[in-house]
Amino acid sequence: MNDAAEKSPAASTSILTVSDLCTVFPTEEGLVTTVDAVSFSLKAGETLAVVGESGSGKTMTFLSVLRLVPPPGRVMGGEVWFDGTNIAALPEQQMREIRGAGIAMVFQDPLTALNPVFTIGDQMIEVFRAHTTMNRRQARARAIEVLERVHIPSPVQRIDDYPHQLSGGMRQRVLIAMAIALRPKVLIADEPTTALDVTVQAQILELLAELRSELGMGMVLITHDLGLVAKYADRVAVMYAGRVVETSPIAQGFGQSRHPYTRSLFRSIPRLDVPADQALTAIEGQPPNLAKLPEGCAFEPRCFLGNGREDCRRERPLLAPTDTGLHLSACPHWPNLPESEADA
Amino acid sequence: MRRHLRHPSFSVGLFILVALSIVAVAAPLLAPYNPTHTDLMNTLAHPSASYLLGTDEYGRDILSRLIWGTRISLEVAFAVVALSLTLGSLIGGVAGYAGGWLERIIMVCNDILLAFPGFLLALALVAARGSSLENVILAVSIAYTPRVAAVMRSVVITIRPRPFIEASRAIGMSPARVLLRHVLPNALPPVIVVTTVSAATAILAEAGLSFLGLGVQPPTATWGNIISDGQGYITSNPLISLSAGLCIAVTVIALNLLGDGLRDTLDPQMRRYTGERML
Repeated sequence: MNDAAEKSPAASTSILTVSDLCTVFPTEEGLVTTVDAVSFSLKAGETLAVVGESGSGKTMTFLSVLRLVPPPGRVMGGEVWFDGTNIAALPEQQMREIRGAGIAMVFQDPLTALNPVFTIGDQMIEVFRAHTTMNRRQARARAIEVLERVHIPSPVQRIDDYPHQLSGGMRQRVLIAMAIALRPKVLIADEPTTALDVTVQAQILELLAELRSELGMGMVLITHDLGLVAKYADRVAVMYAGRVVETSPIAQGFGQSRHPYTRSLFRSIPRLDVPADQALTAIEGQPPNLAKLPEGCAFEPRCFLGNGREDCRRERPLLAPTDTGLHLSACPHWPNLPESEADA
Repeated sequence: MRRHLRHPSFSVGLFILVALSIVAVAAPLLAPYNPTHTDLMNTLAHPSASYLLGTDEYGRDILSRLIWGTRISLEVAFAVVALSLTLGSLIGGVAGYAGGWLERIIMVCNDILLAFPGFLLALALVAARGSSLENVILAVSIAYTPRVAAVMRSVVITIRPRPFIEASRAIGMSPARVLLRHVLPNALPPVIVVTTVSAATAILAEAGLSFLGLGVQPPTATWGNIISDGQGYITSNPLISLSAGLCIAVTVIALNLLGDGLRDTLDPQMRRYTGERML
């Protein structure tokens, strides 16, 4: 994605640039690389969707960016340029100032991400107290303003509620309010709607889109819902086994993906134009064991395209430009993919 | 609070403890005599109108001594709970939250202390430091802190992986703030249950130390001292030791009932007595 950024006229506005980020976990089976040389960049006002199945390293990539990898895991290498600083090399004290104020994160489950024994007001005040010199009263006034901004009705009353008194959608709004309270430049939304009702999902995503353009934030949308990607993202990065296997602008047609894994993901979505009695297409095989990754392409054992090819098994393919420089794929055999998804 | 009161053992335990606290606070008003006042004409008197529970070998009124003894016992219980809860929560909380080598070092030290019977440890500490009320409190607190720390650590370990801890780190809170603001408040309910029970053992420990002559020194009235004073006359005047023993038993049972009630009402899986939601 780096060279994509170079060719783009807006490259100078890139707010978050990650290169060769690696995170490992020591296990009984040996070192497991959960984030494997991940590179990407994010521009201000842009939404980057990160998709992939569970365990593909989506969340761990961004915990690594924030340097919040749970022990015994640790970030082994790579650079994270945020706002002109390599935050991967920053002392912990300064890193803490960036968390929440420069880069904020919205977590998956809004019930468990809030402390059940404190009111939402108490928890929002924490955000201001951790980063500013405001006193409690000022922080409370600001918290009410922010709650208003995420469209929580009658925030003056709501602020003294405990998390369990709010609905799931309201709780997620509170978490979003906490995340945007200090006007961060980057907002990482980690599956923000997975725990919510379908009807509430759309509201939350609309809210995120609204706040993104209002505040000019760069937004990362971690998801495994491909439908959301097409609607809300500008660009998409597909992850498999801790690696980015494809990145493409949405405008290029996400349906015309240039990697067999992305194609397989698309085929496993239930479709309205396929008879209901027809079985869903699953990706054959199991997600790979990260401790015993094949030497070559991690997707090779499950690939419908290159199955059995010598080079796929021997050499690990790297992310490379395809027909357009903006569309990168880690599959050198992408030209052999069927023309469009309908033929596949 | 209503939820707690509906629990029978909680309300009985609380009632007894409130009554005892009133007795302790109002001791100067309630006690018919000064607890150290000796009536040498009436030593080892049997219960009578002037001495409701009789007198001991120095002619001191047993009832007045029991009433004043309530003060010492509750003082010890409260001070020990305050000290061991603070210390134990911090030690256990830091160990559980930090993890890694720091946790291992702290817990090895804790387990070594835990391996000593609490009373024996308190006995040794008082023997080394001399016997006074302060030293008894200190010794018993040190003896019971490892228990609180062990419980605290195991609870914190279950709280540490919960998402709101990660979320509070993601908003840039320092580890110390996360521990104080988020981890400890969530860990307190089970720890409070343990401390109510250790308040009971603290009262027993104080009585035991006083009985052995290592606790609060005579002539100060404590329940342990009264039992000790009465042991020579257990056949002729059994009421001396018996009444003090009964006081200890009632207090300890009350604290245990309170602890049981708290455990039932604070533990969502054992909440039989309520249909209400937590908080």
